[in-house]
Amino acid sequence: MIRSFLAVAFNSFREALRHRISVVVVAFSVALLFATSLVADVTVITLDRVVTDFGLGAMSISLVMLTIFLSCSQLSREIERKTIFLIVSKPISRGEFLVARFAGNMFTLAVLILLMSAVFVAEVVLNGGSVTEAQLVALVMLWFELMVISSVGFLVSSFSSQLVSAVVTTGVYISGHLSDDIYSLSTRTKVPSLRALGHTLYYMLPNLERLNYRPKASYVLSSTFSEVFGSAAYGTAYAALMVTFAVLLFARRDFK
Amino acid sequence: MTSTSVPLPVETRALSKTYRLGFWMNRQVRALQGLDLRVEAGQVYGILGPNGAGKSTTLKILMNLVRPTGGEALLFGLPPSLREARRLVGFLPENPAPYEYLTGREFVSLAGRLIGLAGHELDTRVTEVLRDVEMERSADLQIRRYSKGMIQRIGFAQAIVGRPRLLILDEPTSGLDPVGRRQLRDHILAERARGTTVIFCTHIIPDVEALCDRVAVLVGGKLVREGSVQDLLTAGASLVELVLSGITLERLRTLGHDVPYSQSLQDRLLIRITEVDSQPLLKKVIEAGGRVNSLNSVKYSLEDLFFSALQGAKSSGSVGGEIT
Repeated sequence: MIRSFLAVAFNSFREALRHRISVVVVAFSVALLFATSLVADVTVITLDRVVTDFGLGAMSISLVMLTIFLSCSQLSREIERKTIFLIVSKPISRGEFLVARFAGNMFTLAVLILLMSAVFVAEVVLNGGSVTEAQLVALVMLWFELMVISSVGFLVSSFSSQLVSAVVTTGVYISGHLSDDIYSLSTRTKVPSLRALGHTLYYMLPNLERLNYRPKASYVLSSTFSEVFGSAAYGTAYAALMVTFAVLLFARRDFK
Repeated sequence: MTSTSVPLPVETRALSKTYRLGFWMNRQVRALQGLDLRVEAGQVYGILGPNGAGKSTTLKILMNLVRPTGGEALLFGLPPSLREARRLVGFLPENPAPYEYLTGREFVSLAGRLIGLAGHELDTRVTEVLRDVEMERSADLQIRRYSKGMIQRIGFAQAIVGRPRLLILDEPTSGLDPVGRRQLRDHILAERARGTTVIFCTHIIPDVEALCDRVAVLVGGKLVREGSVQDLLTAGASLVELVLSGITLERLRTLGHDVPYSQSLQDRLLIRITEVDSQPLLKKVIEAGGRVNSLNSVKYSLEDLFFSALQGAKSSGSVGGEIT
């Protein structure tokens, strides 16, 4: 059982590495990280903050785009092309297959974050700065944010097409960063139905701002262990819930 | 242990499947209606039928890709949803689409890992099956560079890498050129020689004639004929084909003979009747002033059987899956 799980997970990793778009995104973000030097050259003050802002922002945007692409395309494409016939007909449960795919995806993203973090650290050091704890926390929490986005992508692509999955997941990513605003806006409205809608959305959407430690890294603000652990646990629980729903839907699906 | 207690490789009992289609799921297609099949060990079993007959749906239910809406399907006595049941089975879907970014060797190796092979055993088996399907030289090319025939061979290799006791093949020769079809037929026969039970569906009748021990004909999701190829062919072999002149079909019928098949050929009439009926009919034709131009024993083929089953199903209802 563990052997087939690892085989599928490793295959997901191999697929991402051999996918041209992954290589392009990684190359783009590495180039962007190095371009921080150019920004630093035209910056008069707060050099450390610019390097951190620009570096972490570049990593975040490119990895979020890649996550949406991978999580929405892998499963959908496999179903659309009917490659899945060759895999789920083997002695592996559908749930195991989906979780292994998800695990492979998260492993790929972990490797990419490590690679980009190395470039980021080099960039910080080259610009005369030093790596702070807040920056490291932001890098680790970026992985948890990607895990939540990836789980949403897997959930939607377990029952819909690649395009629909990508649109919905992008929408969840954007609104997930605005969920606090959605809540506060809905508390101000006098229309009960709108208030109820706002509150429902707030509780259904992932609170991605809770996993966003990049502003703290910019201002070199430290976080307590319990706060970071709580945020990581929140992200993990949300992703686990989404993957559980995905497994339930995927297990009941007919592959015509 | 009696033979009846040994679970069959494939058994279906009153198997039914209704697909719900459309945005509101309000259209229903009855793809399978109460299908009973029994496939004995060591047989090559063919499922024949036109498009939409329910052939692929049957195989997909057996491979746990589609869930039945009624009845049950069993693989070696176990439901296909259990991984233990699927461990004994190799499956080649119609138009297989392996991961294009992998090489043929990597894909067959992945299939082997999913079956539970590892290490030296996996490497040995992968090398063996790649040699068996004559893909050794192209095994390290990415699958996106393969031709249709090569993909089919890699698909077959991944199906047999775990030495399955049952091989399920969905339209294995469709889209292949004559050489590819011949090679795949040879692979199926080689598997049968090893004792593997093979069940495959197709609408290519010569493949069934060349390979199968038993045949099931499905039309409109229902089993309309089933039996050994020999029995089915013998059942229709007592027909004779007569070409007559100087007599009309109407006149022939007034002589008190039922003519199940007839065709007008300008001034002549071609009829098919049973051998038993032929002698009295010949006598009456001559007495009525008609002439017998030719008399031939009909070699009944599976194609005839297939079309007669199709004709029968058309007259009694739907052919391509009932839509409501």
